[in-house]
Amino acid sequence: MDDQTKLKDEVMGRIVGSKRIRRRALCIIAAGLASIVVLYILSLTLGAYRIPFEEALEQMVEIIVTGGNPEDMSGRIIYNLRMPRELAVIMVGAGLAVAGAVMQALIHNPLVDPYITGVSSGASLGVMIMTISGLVTTSITTMWMIPAAGIVGAVIAFTLTMVVAEAAGGKAMSYVLGGTVIGMGLSAGTTLIMSFNANHLANISSWMFGSFANIEWSETMLITIPVAVIIGIILFNARNLNTMLLGEDQAMYLGMDSRRFKRNMLILIAVLTAFCVSFCGVIGFIGLIVPHLCRMVVGGDNRVLLPTSMIVGPVVLMLADVFCRSFTVSELPIGAIISVIGVPFFVYLMVKEGKRYAM
Amino acid sequence: MPCENEPVLKVTDVEFGYKDEKTLKGISFEINKGEFVALMGPNGSGKTTMMRCINRIMRIDGGRIEIDGQDVSGLTMQEISRICTTVPADTALDFSLTVRDYVSLGRSPYIKTIWWEDEEDERMIAEAMWDLGVANYANRRLQELSSGERARVLLAKGIVQTPKVLLVDEPSAHLDIKYKVQIMEILRELSRRGLTILIASHDINLLTRFCDRILLLSKGRILDYGAPKDVVTESSIEEVFDIKVKIVEEGGTIYVLPTGSTGYASGP
Repeated sequence: MDDQTKLKDEVMGRIVGSKRIRRRALCIIAAGLASIVVLYILSLTLGAYRIPFEEALEQMVEIIVTGGNPEDMSGRIIYNLRMPRELAVIMVGAGLAVAGAVMQALIHNPLVDPYITGVSSGASLGVMIMTISGLVTTSITTMWMIPAAGIVGAVIAFTLTMVVAEAAGGKAMSYVLGGTVIGMGLSAGTTLIMSFNANHLANISSWMFGSFANIEWSETMLITIPVAVIIGIILFNARNLNTMLLGEDQAMYLGMDSRRFKRNMLILIAVLTAFCVSFCGVIGFIGLIVPHLCRMVVGGDNRVLLPTSMIVGPVVLMLADVFCRSFTVSELPIGAIISVIGVPFFVYLMVKEGKRYAM
Repeated sequence: MPCENEPVLKVTDVEFGYKDEKTLKGISFEINKGEFVALMGPNGSGKTTMMRCINRIMRIDGGRIEIDGQDVSGLTMQEISRICTTVPADTALDFSLTVRDYVSLGRSPYIKTIWWEDEEDERMIAEAMWDLGVANYANRRLQELSSGERARVLLAKGIVQTPKVLLVDEPSAHLDIKYKVQIMEILRELSRRGLTILIASHDINLLTRFCDRILLLSKGRILDYGAPKDVVTESSIEEVFDIKVKIVEEGGTIYVLPTGSTGYASGP
């Protein structure tokens, strides 16, 4: 009996005191933050006008300390072009990764992300129509209309996908197929509108492949603030998202109004996605790849998974961005680069996990 | 043993469904504190609907359900989840939750902190895992466990929720014979400690062996409610399940042997 009590004490102590996964996540987050800082400074050096690493670092510190507006050429390039652009990369990486993780938890399907469910395409169409309408100038007073149009498009696209997928039985594949079809329809709409507005073509095509090339401070702020607020709300709900992993019924047994929670969260995700793609265009698969990689290492607890995805997302997107700008004078489209990595990853998941999700 | 005169679950004249196709018709019964009661009946007899109504996942169309003296129709979801919960037959396995993550979700209705469980919740979670013999798997992922181990993890989550009434839906559907018995022994022990349990299952012989009372349900009506020996008779089973059976007694427990044929084929 004594042995039994001792064994129990030991096992209980191990369970109550075990923070292994949390420590692992903390390590990843710390390493991720450090990488973000290094990549941020590195990216300030890259572009048509190369700036040495030490100078970029000095300039950045000075800009942060004095509050901006440097006099010299390299300072102005860093402040006006490269700093806002790279901050946008960080926020979009975080936003899309978190959006993917939450969507996977809510729809119970590890193969969905904002791109696959058609949300990005919907946002694109909205943004496209608004851009061509000529209502938007470069001033901040009209610029908010772009994400607003993106939000409308995203919510419509997502609603359509959900309706189609649920009507088709709500299986894992229903969401993938529904989203793909709706996404194709909306992209076709975008293409048609483009072909009637050839004068906007150059501008729009770089946007369609995803690009951070024309991002300035006003756009960056219109991405950063809403994305930060929405991620904050989502993190606050991490525990409820865990409950949702068990399915709507089991969540109700745990006292949650799961249908309402699911609906509200999905709308929030559509809005988050819209802000991410409004200015930099469609960047697929980040929301698929990042949560998966993180889940492999830190497990499925959203209280650990979401913060980890939020840090790893920017690292992946910044690496892709640095890659795009390192080889040629005119940069490669980042959306295309991410897709080059994302497509084989998706195929791998389909083949490996397909049977388990009744596809 | 069950204490008399202390109904924890009181169901009165419950109706569910539309006029012509009512799933539940005038259901009334009581379960006392610490009783272990079985809901027995063929597929489609209304067992699952009954349980979902008690847990108020579905709202009844008539009658009244009281748990611990409170009418459930007047409670919020959270209030209900503190007095009653359902242990499902199995759970989604897609998302790499560990045993401990899963069990800790049972504390959701009580949680005071925003992010992690506090020390007291952690202790309850550990205690429940120890009680059900899954403490050693705390950091394993759910999909790595056998069905028998997983069934105990599902129960552990139900227990950390500290309900007055525990509803158990087909706990042994995917289990082999040893684990079927083990789950029933665990439930029996929990009811001895004062938990009121209502179980729905097709394992007639395990229900007659372990449960205090049996509620025989057929086509949305209660046919009989009482001690296993009184309810489970050759004629009642034949009427409800439409198959000939023989009842044998062994060591004070009755067992049902299906001796008849469904007439599907000439068969053995």
